[in-house]
Amino acid sequence: MYSLKSFVIVALICTSLTVSSQNADSQQARLLVSKQVLNKLLVQDSDILVKYTIYNVGSVPATNVVLQDSGFPDEAFATVKGNLNIRFNRIPSGANVTHAVVIKPLTYGRFNFTAAVVQYKSSEGAEEPQFAISSEPGEGYIISYAEYDKKFSPHLLDWFVFAIMTLPAVVGPFMLWWVSKSKYELILKQKREKVSKD
Amino acid sequence: MEFKWMLLCLSLLAVSAGVARAEDEIDADEEMIVSEDQGLVETEGDESTIEDLEPSDADTYLLFTKPVFEEKASIELPAGRLSEFLVGFTNKGSNDLVLETLDASLRYPMDFNFHIQNFTTVLLEKTIPPGSQATLGYAFIPADAFAGRPFGLSINLAYRDYEGKQMISKLYNDTVNIIEVEEGLDGETLFLYVLMAAACVLLLVGGQQFLYSVGKKRVGGGLPSRTRANLETGTKTSKQIDMDWVPKNVLNHLNKQKAQSPKQKRVKKTD
Repeated sequence: MYSLKSFVIVALICTSLTVSSQNADSQQARLLVSKQVLNKLLVQDSDILVKYTIYNVGSVPATNVVLQDSGFPDEAFATVKGNLNIRFNRIPSGANVTHAVVIKPLTYGRFNFTAAVVQYKSSEGAEEPQFAISSEPGEGYIISYAEYDKKFSPHLLDWFVFAIMTLPAVVGPFMLWWVSKSKYELILKQKREKVSKD
Repeated sequence: MEFKWMLLCLSLLAVSAGVARAEDEIDADEEMIVSEDQGLVETEGDESTIEDLEPSDADTYLLFTKPVFEEKASIELPAGRLSEFLVGFTNKGSNDLVLETLDASLRYPMDFNFHIQNFTTVLLEKTIPPGSQATLGYAFIPADAFAGRPFGLSINLAYRDYEGKQMISKLYNDTVNIIEVEEGLDGETLFLYVLMAAACVLLLVGGQQFLYSVGKKRVGGGLPSRTRANLETGTKTSKQIDMDWVPKNVLNHLNKQKAQSPKQKRVKKTD
C-alpha cells in the first residue's frame, strides 16, 4: 500500500517536472529584426535614413539585446546621426523597439545593403546568447550628385540667364513708349502752367 | 421462434453488408476524385512534389507589420496599398540550412491551385548556421481590382538542408479579405467638385445677366429722357473737343490748313 502511494507521488513529480521543462523550452524570447532603408532616392552626399525595428514575439522579455550593423564600411559611408552599434537592456514580450540611423554615402554606384546582426539572451537563465540576423533591404543604386542635380535642381542660374537674354526685347519697346509719353506730358504741363498764370 | 430470430439476424447482416459495399463504392469514387486532383497538380507542375511532411529543423514565425493585426485569424489587406510582413526563421538542428526563396501569391479561395496574383519571388541564398535565427522582410501590394473580395493568401518559404534536400514551409495558407481603402479626397473627386463650383458660378452670372436685361426692357420701353441727354453724339461742336493733348506745332499746322481750306483755295484760283 505504502509503496503504491510513493509510486504515485513519484510519478506525479515526474510529470510536473516534464511539463515545467516543456514550459521552459517554449518560454523564450523571439526577436524579429527588420532593417529598412526609408529613402526612395539614394543620392551621394545626402542623408539616407535606415530604420531598425525589433519585435519581440516571444513569451518572455529579451535581455541584453545588442544590434550591430557592419554593413556600412567607413570608406563608403559617413554616419551623420545615430549609432550603428546599439544595446537595449530589455525588450518586453509583445513590444517592439525602433532605432534609426542617418548615414551619408560618400561615393556613388551600386551598393548591397546587407543584414545587421543581433545578439540577445532569449530568457533570463540563458547562458549562451542567441544570434540572429535582420532582414536585408537588398541592392540599391546610389546616384551621383551631378545626376541628381540634373533631374531635380530648380535651375535658378538658367532662369537668370534667360531673363537677361529676354531683357532687350522687353526693354527696347518700353523705352520707345516712355520717351514719347514723357514728351507729351511735358507739353501738357507747360500749358497748364500757362493757364494758371493767365 | 428460433428460426425467426435466425432469419432476422441474417437479413440484418445482409443489409449491413450492402451498406458497407455501397460505402466502399463511395470511397472508391472519392479516391478517384482525389487521384484526379493529384493528376491536375502534377500537370500544373507548380508547388512541386516536395512538402515538409517530416519534422524539420526549421522553426518559422510570421508577423504582419503593415497593416497590424491582433490575431492571425482575421487578416484584412488594403487593396492597392503596401502590405508588409516579417518571417522569423530559426535553425533548431545541428546542420546548416540554406534559405532559397520566399514568395507569396493570391489564390482563388475555392481552389488554391488557381493563382490570381503572383508576387515577387525573393531569391535569398542565405546560409543559417545551427542555433541561429534570421528575419526576412517581404512587401507586396494586392491589386486594386481585387478590393472587397476574399482570396487565398499563400506564403511559401523554400529552403534546403546540408544534403541538398529541398523543403517548402507554408507560412500562411488561408483566406484573407482584400478590403477597399476609403480615401478622404483624391484628385479626381477634387477636380469634379471644382468643375461643379465653376458651373454654378457660370449659371449665376448667366442668370444675373438675363434678369438685368429683362428688367431694363420692362422699365424703359424706350430710352428715358435723362439717358438720352447723356447719349454719345460724337464731336458735333468743336468747342467740346479738348485739344490740349495735341502738341502746339501740330495745332498750328492744322489751323493753317483750316484757314486755307480747299474751297478758299479754289476761290483764290478763280480770282
